[in-house]
Amino acid sequence: MTDNNKSKFSIDQWQKSFEKETKIDSVDNFINSSDEGIDIKPIYTEQDLHNLEFIEKDSLPGQWPFTRGPKASMYTNRPWTIRQYAGFSTAEESNEFYRKNLESGQKGLSVAFDLPTHRGYDSDDELVMGDVGKAGVAIDTVEDMKILFNNIPLNEMSVSMTMNGAVLPILSSFIVSGEEQNVGKDQLSGTIQNDILKEFMVRNTYIYPPDPSMKIVADIIEYTSKEMPKFNSISISGYHMQEAGADNVLELAYTLADGIEYVRAAKSKGLDVDEFAPRLSFFFAIGTDFFMEIAKLRAARTLWAKIMRDFGAKKEKSLMLRTHCQTSGVSLTEKDPYNNIIRTSYEALSAVLGGTQSLHTNSFDEAIALPTDESARIARNTQLILQNETGVTKTVDPLAGSYFIESLTDQLSKKAWDIIQEVEELGGMTKAVKAGVPKLKIEESATKKQAKVDSGSRVVVGVNKFKNPNEPKVDVRVIDNEKVRDDQIKKLDQIKKSRNQKDVDHSLSELVTAAKEDKNLLEYSIDAIRNRATVGEVSKALESVFGRHFAKSLSVSGVYGKHFEGDQDFMNVSNKIDIFEKDFGRRPRVLVVKMGQDGHDRGAKIVATSFADLGFDVDMGPLFQSPKDVVKDAIENDVHAIGVSTLAAGHKTLVPELMKCLKESDPDNKIIIFVGGIIPEQDYQFLYDQNVSAIFGPGSNIIECAEQVIDLISKNSNKK
Amino acid sequence: MSLADRIYNGERAAIAKAITLVESKNQSDKLEGKKLISELMVKPGHSIRLGFSGPPGVGKSTFIESFGKYLVSKGLKLGVLAIDPSSQITGGSILGDKTRMIEISKSENTFIRSTPSKGSLGGVSSGTREAAIILDAAGYDYVFIETVGVGQSEILASNLVDIFTLIVGPGSGDELQGIKKGITEYADIFIVNKNDGDLKIEASKTQSDYKSAVSYYRNDDINSPLKDVLLVSSLEQTGMDEVIQAVEKIIAYNKEKNEFDKRRFNQLSFWLEEQVKALMQESLEKKLKEEIAVSDLTSQVVEGKIHMYEAIDQIMTKVEKKI
Ligand code: B12
Ligand SMILES: Nc1nc2c(ncn2[C@@H]2O[C@H](COP(=O)(O)OP(=O)(O)OP(=O)(O)O)[C@@H](O)[C@H]2O)c(=O)[nH]1
Ligand SMILES: [Mg+2]
Repeated sequence: MTDNNKSKFSIDQWQKSFEKETKIDSVDNFINSSDEGIDIKPIYTEQDLHNLEFIEKDSLPGQWPFTRGPKASMYTNRPWTIRQYAGFSTAEESNEFYRKNLESGQKGLSVAFDLPTHRGYDSDDELVMGDVGKAGVAIDTVEDMKILFNNIPLNEMSVSMTMNGAVLPILSSFIVSGEEQNVGKDQLSGTIQNDILKEFMVRNTYIYPPDPSMKIVADIIEYTSKEMPKFNSISISGYHMQEAGADNVLELAYTLADGIEYVRAAKSKGLDVDEFAPRLSFFFAIGTDFFMEIAKLRAARTLWAKIMRDFGAKKEKSLMLRTHCQTSGVSLTEKDPYNNIIRTSYEALSAVLGGTQSLHTNSFDEAIALPTDESARIARNTQLILQNETGVTKTVDPLAGSYFIESLTDQLSKKAWDIIQEVEELGGMTKAVKAGVPKLKIEESATKKQAKVDSGSRVVVGVNKFKNPNEPKVDVRVIDNEKVRDDQIKKLDQIKKSRNQKDVDHSLSELVTAAKEDKNLLEYSIDAIRNRATVGEVSKALESVFGRHFAKSLSVSGVYGKHFEGDQDFMNVSNKIDIFEKDFGRRPRVLVVKMGQDGHDRGAKIVATSFADLGFDVDMGPLFQSPKDVVKDAIENDVHAIGVSTLAAGHKTLVPELMKCLKESDPDNKIIIFVGGIIPEQDYQFLYDQNVSAIFGPGSNIIECAEQVIDLISKNSNKK
Repeated sequence: MSLADRIYNGERAAIAKAITLVESKNQSDKLEGKKLISELMVKPGHSIRLGFSGPPGVGKSTFIESFGKYLVSKGLKLGVLAIDPSSQITGGSILGDKTRMIEISKSENTFIRSTPSKGSLGGVSSGTREAAIILDAAGYDYVFIETVGVGQSEILASNLVDIFTLIVGPGSGDELQGIKKGITEYADIFIVNKNDGDLKIEASKTQSDYKSAVSYYRNDDINSPLKDVLLVSSLEQTGMDEVIQAVEKIIAYNKEKNEFDKRRFNQLSFWLEEQVKALMQESLEKKLKEEIAVSDLTSQVVEGKIHMYEAIDQIMTKVEKKI
């Protein structure tokens, strides 16, 4: 009997068989290091459960430390909320879109605002000409907000709003819209993102400097904890970090460290932890690393429970981490886009096995434009099928007890905990963010990922392997930005005519005084909004006290190049650059720019650092430049080329404007223009007609881009 | 119109092209650059040149943004030459200084040029002096030169400007004793930056450390405005008035004492010497490589056929003959 058992369960025997099957002499050769630096072994056994530091093996759902889920019943009682993030054009159009979705089975709303709104500019501001209504819905006044929720009862519908920079006027507009629907603020349910720290790190829709921004966050937590019991005062977000390139440990650690900082900010207002902690919510991204993502959600709950206990929280609800998740947009490709439906399905499953409370699934046209009605329907159905056909809702936390999952959860927890301690030593996240450390770490991680894909060591189906020779044509949502802008300006003019200007001026000056006197700003901003002050006016009033923040960005270097030591293609481009330098007495010089309110800087930063590694001299422009600023930079530094990185659909306004300014400033210039980012195929000809020399879409191999750029510059310089 | 005339006209593109010429390693560019500089030096402008040096990350660019804003708001024209130290193994570089000079770079009254320093001591790069001449001719009231301070390069940097400023951070007073001795000698003004938030106490302490360290160099004239140690926060834009006053005082003082022109004269001599040295070095290297069989002689030394000093003597004889 014992003998029998022994042979049946011998790990040595397994190892021998493994080595025989694989014809490789050591199992160790099958250990893969994950992006997080965790060794992924070919087998996990009971042994791996022995020295767990953070995970308690026999824990149960709905109980300390909540590894297995915040609720005892989880999806068996009520499945996760299908909550699709959407918004575009005018409030009228977005409202219609929302209502259709709700009729088709979506359960909660999640509003995407356009970039001018995010950054506190009205639609008539000259600075935002190319951005109105393009990447979200334009909201200028409470009247727009009311239209947005027309025929959507705010006492029944839970509404999530991704708003951080202009959080005061937007939350105020939401509250006043409720009032005017006869719904008291105590009845409003939903979430405001209100997570400013990650804006400075990765999302880039900040307005004010870090310190006053943190004060605003705390004001909102204070106000909502007293007046809006059903409303989540903040959604502490790691999602954007992963989308910007963070691996799962960085995402987990920085998100929880942000959480710690917000708890401190709220406590500094004199609030008791248990007064506000139950209303803190979280938001994570779910990428393609299937098991890692599941482990991340379990680790997040475990660590947060510990953190909150250390803060002295007593209520169970204060200890449990509740989260929304979104599948990864950056894992989706422009090439062979129907593959994205499959990717999103796996990611959704991962989120659900990890125990998310609500979920957004991306549309397959993610890397092309905002979703169409059709692609949005498929995205939503991905979740409906998961909920209704697969049986995943019938058992709580089905993966608990898996040697692999439990071990992974513990290792992730450990690694994240170490980083959280490092941040604490720096004096907390606000300080770390000001010093720029987290941003730089995330950019480093993003650059590594790019190098892995470009070198082919990471496979992306349809991009660097298994390419589709017959790329399908897909429909694209097109937004007529000029029309949206005109409509918004008309509405603005009308409101400015009909409102009582005296009341507006008065409430704005009260707001300014309150900002100087450190009072809770939400109350004052509600008054101003109720009087029909615009989002831009409220933001500017606060700007007059706090100033506007300009990020001082740092860059990584050498990370990309290191992956390509001895690589033939890499050397080939480097050599071409050396030859250019010999011929022309200096290196090819490229200015990489972001124009308008588009804050997607991942691509631009990666391209800049990689180009520098290849041997270019790269001028990196700051965010939010106008075409005129860009031209001045380009001319003064006598660059050979300008590379425009554009992802938020401003290209058809901003590129022609750039060309015009360039011509005006230096009619004889020989500067080459190329464009990278999200450009739908139907816009290519438009850009070529503007004299754009090359276009590089999502998934471009940077070494190939660089080769094309150096060839173009050389050809142009040889023309003389 | 000739390039020089276009520069006198203040044409942005012409100024930029001219700077490219004087920075270029291409022979015909160099020649053209020399001709241009000779032309421009005949009719100089009136600019005051200020140098800002200091360790990486102390906030030089941020200071220039903050201080520059003040000058620009008074309607003055400001040229900035930022020597960016971020050069790499592959030779390329990321020039990110402008992301720290966002506001002044928007102004019509500024011209901001970054130059990769390509490892030349991390400090001045060849062409900086000529670039300053170009901006001077183009009518800029002030020309700022930002360099990273690492040891030797200060001497070069201080020889480019009318007033040389060392920017340091809070807490850098401790290093003073050893390495920074040389710098204290060359700098006219010391600025302790980042005097804000938690760093304030440390900043004042650094200020007093520097004050006592430079007392040794203060000249006997008790009214001398030189070698003042100032506290600023570039982030919060405090202390800028004191900086402008210090600058104005030093200029007035130096002009009164004839120091101003004397300095420029000495700098010109220094520059001439440097140029000659550079040319000699270049031709020497070329000869050693192309005409003198150094490796043959080395082999002979290794094989024990001749002594090392004999080899050196032989090389020297050949070099001298050829020169
Ligand atoms: C990552 C991401 C984010 C991150 C950005 C993080 C950051 N700091 O960059 C986060 C989560 C913060 C984010 C937020 C938003 N996003 Co987003 N985001 C994306 C996503 C998923 C990937 C972009 C990316 O970084 N890819 C990886 C990099 C390396 O690729 P890349 O930039 O394309 O660059 C490559 C090429 O294009 C090319 N290239 C690019 N630039 C240049 C320049 C040169 C010189 C050269 C040679 C080459 C080159 O080479 C690069 C290497 O291959 C895209 C969808 C997608 N899959 O592309 C949506 C997307 C761009 N986002 C979108 C939107 C709407 C937003 C929001 C405005 C939503 C909202 N309303 O709040 C916000 C606001 C952000 C802001 N401040 O502007 C939309 C834009 C819609 C449109 N164009 O019509 C997209 C297309 C998604 C969608 N379909 O809805 N986003
Ligand atoms: N607290 C504080 N930080 C500052 C101040 N000035 C600059 N910084 C910060 O210091 C960092 C470096 O600033 P830079 O202006 O780039 O410094 P630099 O000396 O030009 O750096 P290099 O050109 O890279 O050598 C940035 O993160 C700035 O925000 C200041 O007065 N106070
Ligand atoms: Mg600098």
